[in-house]
Amino acid sequence: MLATIPSATLLGVEGRRVAVEVHVSSGLPGFTLVGHPDPVCREARDRVRAALLSSGLPWPTKRVTVNLAPGLLRKVGPGLDLPIAVGLLVATGELEAEAVAGCAFLGELGLDGSLRRVPGVVPMVGALDARAVVVPVECAAEAAVVGRLRVRAAGRLAELVACLRGHDPWPDSPPCPPGVESSTPRPDLADVRGQPVGRTALEISAAGGHHLLLSGPPGSGKTMLARRLPGLLPPLEGDDALVATTIRSAAGQSLPPGGLVVDPPFRAPHHGASSVALIGGGTAWMRPGEISLAHLGVLFLDEMAEFPRMVLDALRQPLEEGVVRVCRARASVAFPARFLLVGATNPCPCGEAGPEGRCRCTDAARERYNRRLSGPLLDRFDLRVVVSRPDVADLLGGPPGESTEVVAARVAEARERARSRGVGCNAELPAGLLDEVAPLAPAALAVLEHQLRVGALSGRGLHRIRRVARTIADLAGAGPVVDEAHVCLALGLRADVVPSEVAA
Amino acid sequence: MGSEGPPGLPVPGRPKAVGAASSAASPAIVHDAPSPGLPTEAFVAALAGLPAMGHRRLVAILRRWSPEEAWRRAVEGEADDDPCLAARWCAAAGEVDVDGLWRSHLRAGVGLLAFGRPGYPGVLADDHQPPGVLFHRGDPAALDGRRVGIVGTRRCTRYGREVAHELGRDLSASGVRVVSGLAAGVDGAAHAGALAAGGAPPIAVVGSGVDVVYPRRNSQLWADVAAAGLLLSEAPLGAAPEAWRFPVRNRVIAALSEVVVVVESHAHGGSRYTVEAAAERSRTVMAVPGSIRSPASAYTNALLADGCAPARDATDVLVALGLVTAGPGAGEPRPEQRPSPGPVEESVLDALGWDPASLDGLVLRTGRTPPEVMVALSHLERDGLVASRQGWWERLANG
Repeated sequence: MLATIPSATLLGVEGRRVAVEVHVSSGLPGFTLVGHPDPVCREARDRVRAALLSSGLPWPTKRVTVNLAPGLLRKVGPGLDLPIAVGLLVATGELEAEAVAGCAFLGELGLDGSLRRVPGVVPMVGALDARAVVVPVECAAEAAVVGRLRVRAAGRLAELVACLRGHDPWPDSPPCPPGVESSTPRPDLADVRGQPVGRTALEISAAGGHHLLLSGPPGSGKTMLARRLPGLLPPLEGDDALVATTIRSAAGQSLPPGGLVVDPPFRAPHHGASSVALIGGGTAWMRPGEISLAHLGVLFLDEMAEFPRMVLDALRQPLEEGVVRVCRARASVAFPARFLLVGATNPCPCGEAGPEGRCRCTDAARERYNRRLSGPLLDRFDLRVVVSRPDVADLLGGPPGESTEVVAARVAEARERARSRGVGCNAELPAGLLDEVAPLAPAALAVLEHQLRVGALSGRGLHRIRRVARTIADLAGAGPVVDEAHVCLALGLRADVVPSEVAA
Repeated sequence: MGSEGPPGLPVPGRPKAVGAASSAASPAIVHDAPSPGLPTEAFVAALAGLPAMGHRRLVAILRRWSPEEAWRRAVEGEADDDPCLAARWCAAAGEVDVDGLWRSHLRAGVGLLAFGRPGYPGVLADDHQPPGVLFHRGDPAALDGRRVGIVGTRRCTRYGREVAHELGRDLSASGVRVVSGLAAGVDGAAHAGALAAGGAPPIAVVGSGVDVVYPRRNSQLWADVAAAGLLLSEAPLGAAPEAWRFPVRNRVIAALSEVVVVVESHAHGGSRYTVEAAAERSRTVMAVPGSIRSPASAYTNALLADGCAPARDATDVLVALGLVTAGPGAGEPRPEQRPSPGPVEESVLDALGWDPASLDGLVLRTGRTPPEVMVALSHLERDGLVASRQGWWERLANG
């Protein structure tokens, strides 16, 4: 007898529908699993057998063939355990085919018959075409995020079978995705003492989506500033929240209690991260990398010059396109990766390089250190700021600065203005649109002309400065014309922070 | 550059094996009886390339024998009383092709001044630690005239670089030869200044071979100094810039200078070797005063505290040379030609002072907003009153 159970598997951050076909016929007892399963999926046979027996259900002494269609798609992970078990029960007549009609199944089985959590429930449920889906209890909230299907949760295989047979009522539906509400407390900007320029740069970065590079000696507060950036970004809404949730789910990471990810993510990979960990990919399972987990949020690279240069340069294409295409022999996957890049670096290995001549590094060491940050990558940073150690008096008793709440309100307003121009943020303004949305006051034009004339600014740099100046004007609540002050500040926040070779 | 030569010729400073040399299509080489046409200098160059040949040993040998005789003894293992060293030299000398070595010098346009030979500078011949040989590019006649050494740290501040440049420029324009080490930082700035003035020819004493440019980014400066003045080195062609060569080099700078000016130096910088060598030779040492907060001026300020004369400008140095008598005009500032700053700019300039400051620091010191400060800085930068480097703002001196 044949049974077909709908389910899904994961490819990158997308779910793909899988039909689990179970065929039971007379013949020599045996179990064959076909349809391109990966090693973990292939082990389903042993888990399903033990789970059925421990749940008091029979294991057929017949010839069993399980096919996972479509055959070309590689099925990863243990999520197909449950559909295989249910299919087997239907095929052997333990369950009525009508009882499972229109219902999809997802979940890993334990040898004792319990249902376990699997990664990527959000994208997999999102891909299903069914009226209802049965998932392990732990994943119920995650599955409910999608909202399109009726979600039924089950804790054990025996309970599930009883419900399907109609012996027991289904347990209560899991709670609907609760209201959009930030859960975890975020560090507040008011904690930052002094650092007026660092704070300004942070605000501009959040408002305009401009990538930010902080350079300064150890202990100057680079990391402290960077950690306060996601709090300034507006919360994720609608599709954005769903995409962020999907990526997080696909990476097998736990979701916030509400299910939906509404806080802009903040990812801070260590500088030992490999290029696959950062970009995505992997052999067993196309996993989203850190840059995709930071999608719509902040990717913070602390000690940026300690990252291998190859890893850093791999960021250039996603920075430009907002998407990273990972191509492997088996599959090619596009991961969303539109993130705000914040880099922090010391000016040299000892961290003390500066105009005072206090640095203890050799010339060669300093050059080697700075070569890690390639010119094209540095060019992606619209804001490059020197952070100096705050004054002792400020640290101990200075007045607290503006709080995150106050600044975030200004940021939200500035972003609203950017949206009225048809872009998500000012960093995305096309160059052709700049004359229209960011016309320059005569004094501002004179400043830029001087910079171009002395060779301090290139043509591309000019556009970047104008975008940043637009953001500064938006934050200041200025009119459509970009003023001298806005342009000057934009220039000042684009310092040549990485020491270039200084000929004597 | 040695590797560019035709096959069969030895790479300078790296003696080639006999077998390899004779197997190639080069003229037959006779080691024991060199061709009679070779100048005496060729043997000095060969001697200088022997292992463990410092300036003391080379001078001792040249005092004892003629270079030809010394080379013959080196080949035969009789060049030193210490049999170990003599054997080492013998083994090394056996593999040197003097003819090829000399031709590589000629090809590179490198001449040499040998101790005890005509053309050797008298000021060095009288020294108690004279160099046995000085390889040179450029015209040795550049040594004739008044000479001032300008030395300092490689890790200089903008202040140090500017002062070195001004001193080099003004001294050269006054007909004084600037002697320095052509290193990064102060040395290079002094030479760049001397070249900019186009006055007296600059003299550089370098630590590596004259064909090994170090630091490499100064290659244009090396070429310019060699073209306009004189490039000297005790090290044979191809010698790498090893750390020990620099203090040794500094004594030559001190010996060649009548006055040594230290522009900027850290507490334990290499300039103290130059200053010690100058003191041993009773040369006048002058120091450029710096901020007491600047680590790059720690040693120069200490020198001033010890009683060195301050060098505030070229006039101070010229007075020390006896070329100008200190009069009322000495040390007077040049007329200010830059536009005078507005009130906001003035306050930013006051807050900046003469030490580099970050934008953060200026915002805190002036109590103004970042945009206001940036507008003022951009005006000041346009007018040439301040400059920014790597995110730091510095006030520019007049001149």
